[in-house]
Amino acid sequence: MNALRAVLWKDLLSEWRSRDRLPAMLVFALLTVVVLRFSQPSGSLAGNSATAPGLLWVAYVFAAVLGMNRAFALELENDALAGLALAPVDRGWIFLGKAAANLLLLALAQVTTALFFAILFDVDLLSVAGPFLGVALLGALGLTAAGTLFAGISVRTRYHEVMLPLLLFPLLVPLLVGAVQATAGLLGEGRAGTGALQLLVVYDGVFLIASFLLFEYVLDE
Amino acid sequence: MNDRADTSLERMARAAQGPAGALLLLLTAVAGFVIVRAPADVVQGVLYKILFVHAPAAFAAYLGFLLTAVGGALYLWRNDEQWDRLAVASAEVGLLFCTLNIVTGPIWAKAAWGKPWVWDPRLVVTALLWVTYLAYGLLRSFSEPGPRAARFAAVYGIAGVLLIPLNYFAIDLFGGRAQHPENLQRASLGVGIALPFLAGMLAMLVAFLYLLALRLEIEGLRVRRDRIDHENALEDSA
Repeated sequence: MNALRAVLWKDLLSEWRSRDRLPAMLVFALLTVVVLRFSQPSGSLAGNSATAPGLLWVAYVFAAVLGMNRAFALELENDALAGLALAPVDRGWIFLGKAAANLLLLALAQVTTALFFAILFDVDLLSVAGPFLGVALLGALGLTAAGTLFAGISVRTRYHEVMLPLLLFPLLVPLLVGAVQATAGLLGEGRAGTGALQLLVVYDGVFLIASFLLFEYVLDE
Repeated sequence: MNDRADTSLERMARAAQGPAGALLLLLTAVAGFVIVRAPADVVQGVLYKILFVHAPAAFAAYLGFLLTAVGGALYLWRNDEQWDRLAVASAEVGLLFCTLNIVTGPIWAKAAWGKPWVWDPRLVVTALLWVTYLAYGLLRSFSEPGPRAARFAAVYGIAGVLLIPLNYFAIDLFGGRAQHPENLQRASLGVGIALPFLAGMLAMLVAFLYLLALRLEIEGLRVRRDRIDHENALEDSA
């Protein structure tokens, strides 16, 4: 537990001092939304509500990958990763600290992007703001649980910036289906379907537990 | 860390190659014969006979991916290099059979379903597995060979198999409809079809084992070559 808090605090502090990850994630997410908006057929916005949830989550996934790529790149300087590995604590807690920092940054980017998205795509996210935050957070939890594990792997391969999405995207499909269906349910009927929420919760649980256990072998020096 | 170049798994693989190769030749001939002789389907004519390649290839692919995860888990647990070699070999051979399965599917579906691709759970989940183990291969080729690459690949191989049930659930939620014929559950394999199906399965299983044995030997040779290169480099620098 102490390790979780220490790693989380260290990551947030270094982010606060450098301010490089969150602005990059935010600007990238906003730009993605702009590009997606212009990739829609011109004219009326009528057809948008069907594709809007999926497009929003595409922007979230892109922002998350960008942010998580940097999560371990920082640790490569001064060989800080070896320092983390040498810490006399269960490495699962180090993983949770890292993932918590990623989750917090992603959640901040998500809220800002959602506001921007709602205006540009003319979808009424505000009236379901509470439940939507819940769905966004469940999705972000799965994204960071899987992403943090594979960011720890990709950072020590060649072309590591390219490697993270290559590793992550094939495994994200169930999470995306759950998150997009839940968001679509909120926008359409005002409530997310139980099936979609179940899928999100199960995905989060599976990857939190698997990553907690497997991170031991990722950080091993 | 176990450093034996000649592992028990490798010795087994080498010993199995001859008999497996001979058995494969025999089984291919038998399967080819009984498949050609099998009666034509009332509705589909001879088209359905692709089943005798398509379905066994799927079983071989899933067996390969399962072995990748098992080999990875054993490697993480025992820290014995030979399990990593099993994981690499079965991932590659599994991907080969998965490709065969994905290529034969649309050939049949274009005629039977009218479309080469539909949102059928089994189809989509297999396609996702194909992409996942393609990424597995990229991960291996983009990391320096060694214990770290083996650990990373093991973690990824395990995650890939963990996802199979979740993918099924997701495609169901996505609105996919099962369109695969339920031959096994409903025992709809008509008269005279069980034998060619069984022959096809056996031939494909032996083909899988034969290719796996070959790939295991190659992996062993590769490891040994790397070790010799490494020793030579050390001598040169000394």
